[in-house]
Amino acid sequence: MTSEDVAVIKGAGSESSGKNLPIGVVLTPTIFFASFLTIWELAVRLGDVQVLMLPAPSVIWSMFLEDFGLLVELAVNTGIEAGKGVLLGSLIAIGLAGLVHGIGWLNQGLLSYSSTVKALPVVALYPVMTIFFGVTSKAVVAMVAVGVAPIMFTFASRGFSGTSEHDDLMRSISANWRIRMTALVLPRALPYVMAGLRTAVPLSIIISIISEYFGGSVSTLGAYIRRESTMLHTVQVWSAIVMACLLGVLVFVAVSLLDRYFLRWHSSRRET
Amino acid sequence: MAGESETLGLHAAKLGKRFSSKGGDVQALEEVDLEVKQGGFMSIIGPSGCGKSTLLRAFSDLVEPSTGEISVNGKMPAEARAAREFGVVFQSPNLLPWRTVLRNVTLPLQVMGVDRPTRNQTALEMLELVGLGSFARHHPWQLSGGMQQRVAIARALSTNPSVLLMDEPFGALDEITRDRLNLELMRIWGQLSATILFITHSITEAVFLSSQIAVMSSRPGRITELINVDLPYPRNAETRDMPEFYELVIEVRRALVEASAITS
Repeated sequence: MTSEDVAVIKGAGSESSGKNLPIGVVLTPTIFFASFLTIWELAVRLGDVQVLMLPAPSVIWSMFLEDFGLLVELAVNTGIEAGKGVLLGSLIAIGLAGLVHGIGWLNQGLLSYSSTVKALPVVALYPVMTIFFGVTSKAVVAMVAVGVAPIMFTFASRGFSGTSEHDDLMRSISANWRIRMTALVLPRALPYVMAGLRTAVPLSIIISIISEYFGGSVSTLGAYIRRESTMLHTVQVWSAIVMACLLGVLVFVAVSLLDRYFLRWHSSRRET
Repeated sequence: MAGESETLGLHAAKLGKRFSSKGGDVQALEEVDLEVKQGGFMSIIGPSGCGKSTLLRAFSDLVEPSTGEISVNGKMPAEARAAREFGVVFQSPNLLPWRTVLRNVTLPLQVMGVDRPTRNQTALEMLELVGLGSFARHHPWQLSGGMQQRVAIARALSTNPSVLLMDEPFGALDEITRDRLNLELMRIWGQLSATILFITHSITEAVFLSSQIAVMSSRPGRITELINVDLPYPRNAETRDMPEFYELVIEVRRALVEASAITS
């Protein structure tokens, strides 16, 4: 069993089944988070820490509310870049995995290649991307695609490599290539694709913000954080960080819901 | 019906199959001769690993024979498969978990290019036949093992094949469920008059269902004995209480013990 298989079995839906949540699952993190914020607030106020160094949570929160419209706009733009990158990277990776599956040496070669790329700090490629695309939104999208593609390739290739008694069934009913793909091969690979997305989508937000930070589209979270930090607007930087966290949580929840919907037939996604 | 020109439902002559692997060759089948009349019910019984599944897979064109002749309704297995002459029921229900029960049964019809309303109607009729008409919209995981296997039978029957190849279809089920499905299979067979090749390792199941039982020995897999089951059809729950039933069970057991003795 590979790590990809484990990721499939540990589906998003299986972690918490929704209905009978044990109180601790909600209560413990809430108490922890509330105490954390309280200590932070008290430390800043009692220790008389300068707002430039570390603003109190209440200050960050009121700035967050004040700039909420702007922050949402920035987050939407960042989200769109990340989404485009995931789409592009996934389509290339899944398409490639589909094409080379069954060609053992080629598949193996691409797998080791994608392992290498996964270990690479993607940010290092940013200067190259700006040479190709200029300091634009396109460069950010390309960065995300490059970061996401090797992950998606590894998972998709694992998904396509599976065989089962269903292959005998397909042969016994003389299924043509199209039906074999749509009725068997693609649905069988879907749990692996979803497992890949659970890693790739949160990562795509991180890569977009970092790429934006190094220069990219103007009206995005990363660019905003850089601009405000050079002007020592620490409170604005923090409020953008809060929005970035919310965006990360939002996409994670979105992927989990999609996972649960598309894989409702999968044994690991059911309450027993 | 002229005896000579009559086409056999299933026919194998001097059939052999050798599997080659790094660990050495295995003679799975050797000189297997088998004849099943159209509309006949033949069971193959034998110890585990005697090649009975390989024999069925040869008929269903999933395994290429090494030597000998083999035919389904007088056709080569590949031709018979293309002409939808047979349906296969596998050891596991082998349902696609992402499809509803109905869409599992319509799959072979979809492959044939039957339009959606017609294939849905046919599939519903088949589900009614196996007693699962009200489960069409369920997913396989919502069904018990026995129900899933009945869906698999409905799927195999959906293209109206004249031959049904069944590879230990009830092997994983508990005895009570198995007995009930045996009764059901008898009822269905009575309605359809298909040729059935049935692999099993249960003696009572073989005796209850078949008109003929072929006993196999292993390594190399060959047929050691052919036993006619002259119990009257239609068979029902009372059949199992007949003294002749027990005599046949004892006879098959003896043949099976002899076949196993050849091996060891």
